[in-house]
Amino acid sequence: MPNFLSISHFPVPSRVQKIYWAVGAFLCLFPLSSLRSEEHFFEKKIAPLFQAHCLSCHNQDLSKGKYSLQNRRSALKSGVIVPGNAAKSELVDKITLKGGKASMPKDATPLKRHEVALIRKWIDAGAPWPKDLELKEAEVDDFNWWSYQGLRRPNIPTIKIPEGKTKWGRNPIDAFILRTLNENKLSPSKEADRRTLIRRLTFDLIGLPPSPEEVQAFIEDKSEKAYEHLVDRLLDSKHYGERWARHWLDVVKYADTCGYDKDKLRPNAWPYRDYVIDSFNRDKPYSRFIKEQVAGDVLFPGTPEGILGLGFIACGPWDFIGHVEVPESKIDGKVARNLDRDDMVSNVLNTFCSVTVQCARCHNHKFDPISQEHYYGLQSIFAAVDRADRVYDLGPEVKAQQSQLSQKLKANRQQLQQIESEMEKLSEGQLSSLRNQVNSLKSKISVKKSPKYGYHSQISKSQDAPKWVQVQLPKVTGISKVTLYPCHDEYAGIGGGFGFPVRFKVEISMDSKTWIPIFDHSKKDYPNPGLKPLVIKDIHSSVRWIRVSVSKLAERSSDYIFSLAEITVEDGQDKSLTANAKIQAKDSIEAPVRWAKKNLIDGHWPQPGDPSAQKRLTEATLKLEELRKKIETPERIAKRAQLQKSVQELEKQIQKLPKGKVVYAAATHFNQQGNFKPTKGQLRPIHVLHRGNIQQPGKPAQPGFIPLDKTIPWQLDKNLNEADRRAELAKWLTSKEHPLVWRSIVNRIWQYHFGEGIVSTPNDFGRMGAFPSHPELLDWLALEFRDQGQSFKKLHRLIVTSSTYRQSSKFDPKKHKIDSNNQFFWRMNRRRLQAEEIRDSILKVSGALNPEMGGPGFYLFKLEKTAHSPHYEYHKFDPRDEKSHRRSIYRFIVRSQPDPWMTTLDCADSSQSTPKRNETLTSLQALALLNNKFNLVMAERFSMRIQSEAKSLPEQVRRAVSLVIQRELSAKEIEELTQYTRSHGLKNLCRLLYNLSEFVYLD
Amino acid sequence: MLNRRDFLTQSSLGLSSLALAMLLREESAGSSPRAIEVLHHPPKAKRVVQLFMAGAASHLDLWDHKPYLEKHHGKKSDFGEHVEAFQNGLGPWLKPQFEFKPYGHSQKMISEAVQPLGRHVDDITFIHNMVGKTGVHSQATYLQATGFQRPGFPGMGSWISYALGSINENLPTFVVLPDHRGFASNGPKNWGAAFLPASSQGTAIFPQRENPIEDLHARADFVNSTSDREGLNLLNRLNRNYQEERPQDSRLQARIRSYELAARMQLSAPEALDLSKEPKHILKLYGLDRMGSKYSKDINIPEETEYFGRKCLIARRLLERGVRFVQVWSGNDNSFPRRNWDSHENLKRDHGPLARGMAVGAAALIEDLKQRGMLDDTIVLWTTEFGRMPSSQGSTGRDHNPYVFTNWLCGGGVQGGLSYGPSDEWGYKPLDRSNPTQVYDVHATILHLLGIDHTRLTVRHNGIDRRLTDVHGHVLNDILT
Repeated sequence: MPNFLSISHFPVPSRVQKIYWAVGAFLCLFPLSSLRSEEHFFEKKIAPLFQAHCLSCHNQDLSKGKYSLQNRRSALKSGVIVPGNAAKSELVDKITLKGGKASMPKDATPLKRHEVALIRKWIDAGAPWPKDLELKEAEVDDFNWWSYQGLRRPNIPTIKIPEGKTKWGRNPIDAFILRTLNENKLSPSKEADRRTLIRRLTFDLIGLPPSPEEVQAFIEDKSEKAYEHLVDRLLDSKHYGERWARHWLDVVKYADTCGYDKDKLRPNAWPYRDYVIDSFNRDKPYSRFIKEQVAGDVLFPGTPEGILGLGFIACGPWDFIGHVEVPESKIDGKVARNLDRDDMVSNVLNTFCSVTVQCARCHNHKFDPISQEHYYGLQSIFAAVDRADRVYDLGPEVKAQQSQLSQKLKANRQQLQQIESEMEKLSEGQLSSLRNQVNSLKSKISVKKSPKYGYHSQISKSQDAPKWVQVQLPKVTGISKVTLYPCHDEYAGIGGGFGFPVRFKVEISMDSKTWIPIFDHSKKDYPNPGLKPLVIKDIHSSVRWIRVSVSKLAERSSDYIFSLAEITVEDGQDKSLTANAKIQAKDSIEAPVRWAKKNLIDGHWPQPGDPSAQKRLTEATLKLEELRKKIETPERIAKRAQLQKSVQELEKQIQKLPKGKVVYAAATHFNQQGNFKPTKGQLRPIHVLHRGNIQQPGKPAQPGFIPLDKTIPWQLDKNLNEADRRAELAKWLTSKEHPLVWRSIVNRIWQYHFGEGIVSTPNDFGRMGAFPSHPELLDWLALEFRDQGQSFKKLHRLIVTSSTYRQSSKFDPKKHKIDSNNQFFWRMNRRRLQAEEIRDSILKVSGALNPEMGGPGFYLFKLEKTAHSPHYEYHKFDPRDEKSHRRSIYRFIVRSQPDPWMTTLDCADSSQSTPKRNETLTSLQALALLNNKFNLVMAERFSMRIQSEAKSLPEQVRRAVSLVIQRELSAKEIEELTQYTRSHGLKNLCRLLYNLSEFVYLD
Repeated sequence: MLNRRDFLTQSSLGLSSLALAMLLREESAGSSPRAIEVLHHPPKAKRVVQLFMAGAASHLDLWDHKPYLEKHHGKKSDFGEHVEAFQNGLGPWLKPQFEFKPYGHSQKMISEAVQPLGRHVDDITFIHNMVGKTGVHSQATYLQATGFQRPGFPGMGSWISYALGSINENLPTFVVLPDHRGFASNGPKNWGAAFLPASSQGTAIFPQRENPIEDLHARADFVNSTSDREGLNLLNRLNRNYQEERPQDSRLQARIRSYELAARMQLSAPEALDLSKEPKHILKLYGLDRMGSKYSKDINIPEETEYFGRKCLIARRLLERGVRFVQVWSGNDNSFPRRNWDSHENLKRDHGPLARGMAVGAAALIEDLKQRGMLDDTIVLWTTEFGRMPSSQGSTGRDHNPYVFTNWLCGGGVQGGLSYGPSDEWGYKPLDRSNPTQVYDVHATILHLLGIDHTRLTVRHNGIDRRLTDVHGHVLNDILT
């Protein structure tokens, strides 16, 4: 329950405001009133209502509607409450239901009738309100909840082995389980048979079915450690990481596209996926795994894994439009960035702590001790972080080269700096003052431009693709002057001269057949003109066409374009001739309003700002030059020239170094894309947002964590930089004493093994979550895990070698009556295979599975129209494509258009954290397994395999069955299947076998 | 969720509570599992068809007549406050791009572009003071479709399927008819089940494709009807053997049943999509009397009419056969040339054909439902993600306006001939800015009409009790019969 009614009551110096969160026992302050008989009526009955429904808006800070209910003085202001007369009080009118609606609380659930009646009663009684009692929005500050208590090592119960169950009790897990079973008058089930066990273990640990041969070998293995050896073999398999990484990726929302509008590809997400697989396979200690994912770049600089892990923060959806197309200065841009940080904060806290922190974005958490301040404290940790591609591995050679070149560059720059300092000294400070003047003037010259930028060619991959654009005048006309105006676009940080051709000619023609050049720059490069127009004067010809032909395009960002803002054509009297002219071009991107052919003669082109500043700038620049000339010496000039040349050379060399491998991850430095600019570590201001509304910022947030009890400070030094903030968060998450982190992870692992967690709400250990069914076992596991090297493989071994895990899943009516949900684990839970397991099993038994690991995701769709909004056309995909015959973890996951077949089989939705898959049964699943192209193609593949492995029809049927379910069917069943195959062929048999319940269920 | 006892004790209706409970349960016989066993109150409607105009359809040029704009056309726009436009559409005032005329007894003014709907205005309630939260298509589309601005939440149809189950298990409960050219912003996430059971997800049907429903039939040369039938029989026997050795696991039983249902769906779904038996006058009504014609490359009315009309007719056939929720989309993503309602450049060029095509189909659907007596318990909801600005962008386009737009409702339990919640004189914001209508209110109202209290249809997910209406929503009692 929320702590609306608990009190924090403390004596305070008179000048400090007294804030009582709720009711206190301070009789001395309480005014005598007609309600004396009901002691503390206001504190007990009224204040909690105000706190729960009103104070988030009506407090001294926000004072919505210029009204605050924080204290008596403000509450009685302006007749909202008329003491003694509820009927005349505006408050009562506002909160009373009229036609099912009340005007207050705004856009929220109205107060109940009896609550309104209480408020009326209180006002009629004179609205008694203790003089110094200040109210604050309700906040939970009660840490008296199981998950916030420190981990305590419990005593391992002594086992009394039940009669006839000699094998029960292999390790302490069983002792805890047995004790609870006994307490509930239950007993464990007997051990499952070996075929069931190897099937269970193999799917559980590597996500694939065992081969019939493996099953046979295990059944026949008489050694005492046969089971343990099997466990070791599976944990050592590289497929182990593929299976367990999938669980992790479900929780952290991994996908290969961004989601939202356009759902652009995220081609470099996969290295993070491979990193997770590798981390599991190498049995990375959990705290290292956490640290790499939150602050690997800070805590393990120079290691590829330190960057790869940061893919975690970037895993979730990202709004392309809200970041790239809308600037951060606009409301929608701010909203997008707020939601983006929210995704990061919730990913961290949901995943590692099992806390629903995101509830506190709009209001204090209603159930758990997390206030909005805490929440925005966490957002400030990510204040400078975005998601983008970043280099994680240059390779040792390149790295060495890079550091060598960088050092040289640094040294050269220092020498240059030294020369400048010398000059500065000689000028007695005049140089720097002039330079400041120049800089400030430069900032005044901001470009003025129309939203119609101009003409823009199609984008080309090569720089020498020929392009042209031409103006066709209405008739042959005498012209005298042609002017080309460059474009201005911030794209890729280019600005002025955007797309202005590098080599080109301007030609004129009367008939569009014979062309006469009037300007030729096709032999050497034309330097970027900025906004300076190219004026071609004194032409004096009669023409109808004016054409700009480009032989070398302008670079944009690793591609090439040609654009112009305007072409003006004038006669001898400077009269414009382009009215009613037409524009033709080799090609054009035609993306109005910004880019359109017709913009080329619309009379708009970008102009530099404040012209007087321009003039003053020219003067100041001249002065600066003159002053420099005075101080210069020939030696210095030579030295500088040499150094500058060397700097340029070095920069070029660094540029030319191989770029290295790239992962989509948390980033502060990256190439600008439209309005999406890197923060370069500059922290964005984060405020506590009223109702989560970006337009209603409250006080600045201070970086911090969620509090774990009342005494431990939760705030960080606000002067910490971006990197250090994340490092602090990583350290906090991995502190030994953290009550949530260790419990959270062992509960997840337990759940994946048993189908049900010890806490059945793996992402929520708060008051809305479930209680642990075995609290001591949970703590014992958490401590074992934490203190024994935080090894996942050890934990798996511990769990799967327990008697509890090895139980049969057989039903027992008596035990069922006591515990129908099997929350005490008196048997194993039968489970349906997950979408990936079904797909991978089909590939494996059909013989098509390519076990190759890692690399970019394979497509299960045809990709079309990537330039704008990519289309992911699943129905056009041919499942014969061998590239797709790999394990499902390597498939390319489209966020907005998930694979229909996988989705039907309850695959995780990559837009939400999925700690536990649904297991549903629908007729659409039946149709998918019967008729999907993948199933049909794999039935053919399977039949080919069977034909090559067995001769006679009955043998073929037997072989097929044993590959699919790893056991023999009854003679009658085999006979029926053989009969069916005889009539309809092997392919139909294979198709049918994929639909067996025994194939998709695990006992 | 309400249990039976709560319902019986809380009911204060004239009808004997027990009898009412029986009445409300009646429909569930023979249909699929439903989260709400006993409805919260007597329903007015059973099914919903939602027409979603992707890209943001202009209220100003279709439904919300603004003489002010006609009068001040071309004059500098002035909103009396700072406006943040999505792009730069704060040019001069732009008059409605189509002529408005009064229709019906209510004399409702609607534009020539949607003139076919003129004959139904007396059955329609227009809500002119809808407000959104963002001018970004993706987020705004999510908001209208799922009640949340972000991905990861179930669509309205999923919630309703989850709550009420299907009326006819041989067909999907929630069917989506996407624009034939492609998906709108967010694609299938607009109708995903998210954290609800997969059975409540929208099933997309593409009537023009060779495979209108994916996986309905096996397309392989080795499969024929005998191999299918005999295979299914054998499969059922084997699965039954497996199930009998594992008594009390209801899932294994349900799985056998799911194959039987699948076989039935194979028969009923193609029948539901087959328009060949529809009489000529019905085809004509939906504008389908020249199906299969060749169309010009430019956007044009006959083509838009055929595609939207076909979806509307299929919608009617599905509703008639017991599909609970049908969602029809008009408009695909934002590629060029535009084939959606996002008319930044030339409103007349794009809205003209799209609106007329939509109006022919929607008017036919209303008329057809009415003549079959189905309009009484079917809700028709027309929606879009936001509206467009009264000022111009370029000279012939309009920018995004999330500050006000129009929805309309028709059918089961909704008043007709009503214009509810006016917008201001320019159609820029609601006239009464402190009392706008939000998507939560529309969702709450639809659930209400279906017999569901929107505050009590909840599912706990990751520790949070989720609702279609989040923590908001008021039933719009003023528009109900």
